Amino acid sequence: MAFEPVLTRNVGQPEARTVAGYKKRGGYAGLAQALKMQPDEVTDAVKASGLRGRGGAGFPTGMKWSFIPKDPDKPKYLVCNADESEPGTFKDRLLMEHDPHQLIEGCAICCYAVGAATCYIYIRGEYTAALATMEQAIRDAYDNGILGRSVMGSGFSLDLFMHAGAGAYICGEETGMLESLEGKRGQPRVKPPFPAIIGAFGAPTVINNVETLANVPHILERGADWFKSIGTDERNTGPKLYAISGHVERPGTYEYPIGVPFRTLLDGCGGVWRGRSLKAYIPGGASAAILPGEQFLDLPMDFDSVAKAGSMLGSAAVMVMDETTCLVRAVARLSKFFNHESCGQCTPCREGTNWMELLLTRIEKGQGREQDAALLSNICTHIAGNSLCALGDAAVGPVKSLVETFLEEIDEHVRLGHCPLPPQPVFEGASH
Amino acid sequence: MPKVTIDDRTIEVERGTNLVDAATEAGVQIPHYCYHPRLSVVGQCRMCLVQIDGMPKLQAGCSTQVMKDGMVVRTDSPEVREAQKGMMEFFLINHPLDCPICDQAGECGLQDYAFKHGQAFSRFQYEDKRTYPGRERIPLGPNVVLNMNRCIQCTRCVRFTREVSQTGELGFFNRGARTEIGTFPGKPLDGPLASNVVDICPVGALTSTRFRFAERVWYLDKRPSLCTGCDVGCNVTLEHRRGQIRRYKPRANPEVNDFWMCDYGRSSFERYYELPRLAAPRVRRDDRVVPASWSHALEAVHQALAGGGRTAILGSGNLTTEEAWLLARLAEAAGPAAGTQAGETPAVELPLAVEQGPRWTIPNPSGGITGSGDTTPNRRGAELAGFSTAAAEGLLTGTATGYDVLFVADSDFGSPAHDEAAVERLRGTARFLVVMGWAETPLARAADVVLPVATHAEREGTFVNVEHRLQRFETAFPPPAQVRPATDALTDLLAFWDEGWRGARVADVFARMAAAVPALAGIEFEELPAQGVALATGGAVGAGAGPSGGSATVHTAEPPAGA
Repeated sequence: MAFEPVLTRNVGQPEARTVAGYKKRGGYAGLAQALKMQPDEVTDAVKASGLRGRGGAGFPTGMKWSFIPKDPDKPKYLVCNADESEPGTFKDRLLMEHDPHQLIEGCAICCYAVGAATCYIYIRGEYTAALATMEQAIRDAYDNGILGRSVMGSGFSLDLFMHAGAGAYICGEETGMLESLEGKRGQPRVKPPFPAIIGAFGAPTVINNVETLANVPHILERGADWFKSIGTDERNTGPKLYAISGHVERPGTYEYPIGVPFRTLLDGCGGVWRGRSLKAYIPGGASAAILPGEQFLDLPMDFDSVAKAGSMLGSAAVMVMDETTCLVRAVARLSKFFNHESCGQCTPCREGTNWMELLLTRIEKGQGREQDAALLSNICTHIAGNSLCALGDAAVGPVKSLVETFLEEIDEHVRLGHCPLPPQPVFEGASH
Repeated sequence: MPKVTIDDRTIEVERGTNLVDAATEAGVQIPHYCYHPRLSVVGQCRMCLVQIDGMPKLQAGCSTQVMKDGMVVRTDSPEVREAQKGMMEFFLINHPLDCPICDQAGECGLQDYAFKHGQAFSRFQYEDKRTYPGRERIPLGPNVVLNMNRCIQCTRCVRFTREVSQTGELGFFNRGARTEIGTFPGKPLDGPLASNVVDICPVGALTSTRFRFAERVWYLDKRPSLCTGCDVGCNVTLEHRRGQIRRYKPRANPEVNDFWMCDYGRSSFERYYELPRLAAPRVRRDDRVVPASWSHALEAVHQALAGGGRTAILGSGNLTTEEAWLLARLAEAAGPAAGTQAGETPAVELPLAVEQGPRWTIPNPSGGITGSGDTTPNRRGAELAGFSTAAAEGLLTGTATGYDVLFVADSDFGSPAHDEAAVERLRGTARFLVVMGWAETPLARAADVVLPVATHAEREGTFVNVEHRLQRFETAFPPPAQVRPATDALTDLLAFWDEGWRGARVADVFARMAAAVPALAGIEFEELPAQGVALATGGAVGAGAGPSGGSATVHTAEPPAGA
């Protein structure tokens, strides 16, 4: 397939980390183009491209921008969500470490479109290399008139700041991130009001993922039609990064047109490792339902197809599991993560994630009872849709699929009184 | 105003009303823990989930507002019931269920909702409950104890200290199932409003140091009353067991104390158990004062007053308005001596003793209400009846002497009543000393006649607070055998002059007072609204008069920490 990388074209090109090198490789053409247009036209172009948010929810980006009030009596903000914390997700890190100016350019275009004069990039605290690269690039951008009082001589002024998180998954939830950015305890807010109306510091705020913003310069430079020519259909357009991990030969971040079949992804990274066969895979990060591998080998990896299959594309963090994987153990580990990362403010998430971890761990240890699967399923019902933010739903995703799709694995644990598969040192040793 | 339909009941509510409040107006209870009308809405307990037509998911009632016509809400659908059942289970799986030793039992949100929305068995049988070892009895400050194991993380207390008391002592620490409430190092919860967090805690996590293990709450009888700690006039529920006051809890009145009261006020009833009680009337016989019957004692007082000599009746801010007004009638009856020329100073003076202490501020929707510093609740009521602080100075400093009769209407009117030297000075101002009151004090021991009357809990009446709001309180329990409410004693005394006073109830006294005092015109005792009535002040006494506001003795109590 003749797909030329778009987002990752500068990966492995150190010169792209400077303004000069980035420009030499064709960068900042999108921003230059945007500055020639009216702000509304920029938003319209993004709307027309069909770009959907790459952070996980897949919300149409242009529409999100258009929710920002035109003339509020407050400043407006763009907050770029670079708090990439979903287990298995490492695509934004690549973009920031290898192509910082692509993100800066995307931020600048967005700010111009919505009329924001300040942009914050909230970056995961552990991403020290990406933070250093970004800060270096931002200084360079200020020095070269890309940021500051007059962006590329247009008179439009923009300040961009990096803000490092302190190690909480919940700060990747947009309102939790805003609280943290404001210097408060990172825990999600009640919605509505949505950030587009009351966001950072009480002002209208756009929140976009790194990969989403990285797409924007290309849309402006090459046009919405070009963007729409990539992908499965009208609703799933553009290039997409897939972070592939687990039991594959060459895990890593791969760029494909959105909607590429899972089989292509798997082949592209060398297939299931050690010549083993595929058991299952998670298509979109730790909060997505686990899909049985063989049945969904040819599943198009776009928002709607994966949703139709009963899971979600999410952040497109694909975790591949081979035949030696105990799914009870895997889901217990995922539950441990969500229990650890629940902020603790709302009841179903705080208590439910804790209970699910305890229950799954007990089943994995061979002390499960016959009624535990039904109990797990009922706990999922009580959490799903009832929690304050999406973390509760996220925690339910893998557990629900275990009970619904892989029930026989639980039953086998209960029947045998122990895990049918040999212990894996990595599970016992892993502690978040 | 938009219309909203809740469980088939359609009502109109103010735009922006949340569904919990709207449901209450419609007569439907939506269970909730974290929501409190005076705290920010956080929507985190998830107990108030309701079903709204057109919404795919259940919504938190507290964070959903009625903005336009036509919202249709169900609080009793199978989906809502299932969610409530689920939440109750989540609350209880890690709760210690130690109700038998928990102070909150009987007034506990978990007990109430578990009964109503929960299930009778546990599915959490094979896992260990989460505990916070070493955090079962943490004193957060002098008056509040935390048991973290019982906490349901509703953060009402945290929000109270941030938003209402604005002291910010409490925080939410750690994360997820390990989340806990606590104070910051070196910053205890010791502000004057600290104990309010105990009231708003829906469970037994925060309990009161003073009330802990004192009483099972279901043995308590509750009556609406008023705090006597200062002249803010906080509305309280007086809770007692067989005549032993156990605690004051704030009773909501948005015009005064809203939902709150200060820690000082909460402990103000303790005075009734710290001082010995006057148990029976006493009358001087030769050089001894001996127990006497009420009729004998009142007759002795009548004789002294009717003698027509120079008389003073020393009032205090602890008197009810009715008591003060009856004393003024007594002064009138005793009257100027026969033959007094019109325009002369009346022979009977009505001095008022007032002491100053710390000034308390209680937050309320109009920004708060601050006491004037009076340590008594009803200086303004006494002034309305005719008492005057200016007249008290000479009497208390001992410069005014030569009275024939001094009638002290409150044996515990202030520090001079407890100071032997001051008592001697006061005794020296008059030939005959009558002392009325509930407390046995050095002053009472120096009296020729002692009239034992009811404490605050044993009487009814009205107070006028610092903002000139007239408020009524009820009798919580009857006084002991030989003790009578002061109004009874005074009407009986007045009956010596005018038989029409005999048997007058407090309501009758109030009616006669309202007919005579312009500021009270048209007000009826039985009809007095729960929030009280703001009186036209007539410029007689400025609200919030400072320490120099005409008080006889300025006595500043130890200021509380953080006041």
